Amino acid sequence: MNRKRTAIAVAAAGTVAGVTGLVLIASPAGANEAPPVLPPISAQALVQSVLDTKVPAMDGAVELQNNIGLPVPGLPQSSGSGEIAHVYSDGQGRGRIALKQGGAERTIVQDGTTTWLWNSADRSVVKYRNGDTAAKQHDQVSDPTTAAQTIVGKIQQDSVITVDGTARVAGRPVYQLVLTPKPTERTLLREVRVSVDADTRLPVRVEVLANGQSEPALEVGFTTFNAGAPDPSLFTFTPPAGAKVTDGTSAVRDEKERTDLFNAVNGKFVGEGWDTVFTGKVPASLLSTQASKDPNRGPVDVTGLLSRLGKPVTGPFGSGYVISTKVGTALITTDGRVAVGAVPQQVLVEALGAK
Amino acid sequence: MTTLAAPLPVRRAPMTRVLRSELRMVLRRPRTLIGLGLLALVPVVMGIGISIAASDSSSGAEGMAALVVGNGMLLPIFALSIAVVMLLPLTGAMLAADALAGESAHGTLRGLLMAPVGRGRLLAVKAFGVAAVTLLAVVMMAITGIITGVALLGGSGMLTASGTTLSFVDALGRVAVTVVFVAIQVWAVAAIAMAVSAYTEHPLIVVVVTLGVIIVSGVLSSIPALDWLRPVLIVTSWDAISEVIVDPLSWRPLVEGTLRALCYLAIGGSIAFSRMLTRDG
Repeated sequence: MNRKRTAIAVAAAGTVAGVTGLVLIASPAGANEAPPVLPPISAQALVQSVLDTKVPAMDGAVELQNNIGLPVPGLPQSSGSGEIAHVYSDGQGRGRIALKQGGAERTIVQDGTTTWLWNSADRSVVKYRNGDTAAKQHDQVSDPTTAAQTIVGKIQQDSVITVDGTARVAGRPVYQLVLTPKPTERTLLREVRVSVDADTRLPVRVEVLANGQSEPALEVGFTTFNAGAPDPSLFTFTPPAGAKVTDGTSAVRDEKERTDLFNAVNGKFVGEGWDTVFTGKVPASLLSTQASKDPNRGPVDVTGLLSRLGKPVTGPFGSGYVISTKVGTALITTDGRVAVGAVPQQVLVEALGAK
Repeated sequence: MTTLAAPLPVRRAPMTRVLRSELRMVLRRPRTLIGLGLLALVPVVMGIGISIAASDSSSGAEGMAALVVGNGMLLPIFALSIAVVMLLPLTGAMLAADALAGESAHGTLRGLLMAPVGRGRLLAVKAFGVAAVTLLAVVMMAITGIITGVALLGGSGMLTASGTTLSFVDALGRVAVTVVFVAIQVWAVAAIAMAVSAYTEHPLIVVVVTLGVIIVSGVLSSIPALDWLRPVLIVTSWDAISEVIVDPLSWRPLVEGTLRALCYLAIGGSIAFSRMLTRDG
């Protein structure tokens, strides 16, 4: 009998230890830590320090959590979460970003004179010489004090901007900068929460919270963050043998095509602030059955897809489909007009009427 | 009257000899040898298939498969990442089934249980046999994978998913990391199988239950509504193998997967041990 009791004790102890371990692995570290105590700071000073800061020498893993209720193309599955990128910076303008896309990986390396884009799916490399585009962006934020005033002033037209306490992101103390839409704004969003690292003043996490939701609908942030210079060899890139190397200048054509497409869509923004709505027109032919670009897949039935994702609606605009998520709504009419915004359906209908 | 002599000193066979004889016994079974041989052939067949497909213009391969072409040192890692999903767990389950349930079916376990040997020691020797042969299977797959990869697919080093090229020695290091990681994952599966094996005398039940656990885990992990369950499922760790071909190597997912496997080892091992303590035959 004694042996039996030992046996039960052993089984219980081992199982409890194993299950506890599994649960510990599953739960994020430091979830229940008390928020750190940091010196108080005004919202404008915080925004200014963010604009003022330069990316320091660091590396970290970035995770995306998507709970908006619809799969976003190119991002992990709906309601999925996972590491999407790893960022390295040497603090002097050189950097490396490794992006995960399905089973493939894209690596972007800025080595000081050239930017390399590597795609493991087709083993291609695109290289861009550092042109004057980067320099131009530099001029705009050359005076962070006025820039901060302008930005904070612009934001305050439609939102309330506050510093809402402190927290920890990836083990680092952060200030939480919260943008709340003013009551007059007709939006689905409750607030946007930006966590700013207290030490480096880098935004390390962005959360988008929708009305009536306690969990963020969309969350992008660091899960690990190590200050200190990474291995300098990370900031060089040599195209591997057998890779297709193209010069970035030939890729400019793509950008022109994109602006052409934008013009064809005849897009414009209606309203301002949180209830800005993008309206446009897609060729009605797009809504009929399409031959897919991917030869392995069958033709895409766009209308069928729409009726599955959205629900049919009618109104002054005619008839169409409305696709709603927790953070935004899209309305597509059967004659090809489109309206998208972080707003309820009624605002989209008005925006279509405002044309 | 007669005084009882002091109890005879217990003479135990040296542990190394016991382990060696157990290993010899496992390796003498024809099904073990056939299983090992077939597993070693998997990378060879994959290498031949990939080298034929590569000469046939662009294939629609994705992820790791797309990188293996002309990148021979990736073949052992690719082969192990495929085998860990079903073939290696099947091997581990089969070995664990033979270790206890198989002995029981032959009636030989009774003799071992009657012998003046600690039950813990008996289980340890049996578990060693299973663990050593699964490790052997993984190492053999890696070796045939390296040979086939270098011979058929070529490539002097290893092209990583990040676009860097590793030297041959570094590439061998990555293969070694994969071998250790995969072996620990298979041990975790084998520990569950050992627990089942301790309770039954039908080896087939062990294999069926273990594969059932793996298949059900795979199904559960693909249901979006059960996302919260994913971190505790054994199959979740197996995706982490793709981290091995990223440069620089990020250890976090690999360490997490190993810890998860150790938790399953603790659960399976303790249940198997507790059953062995009370088992009669």
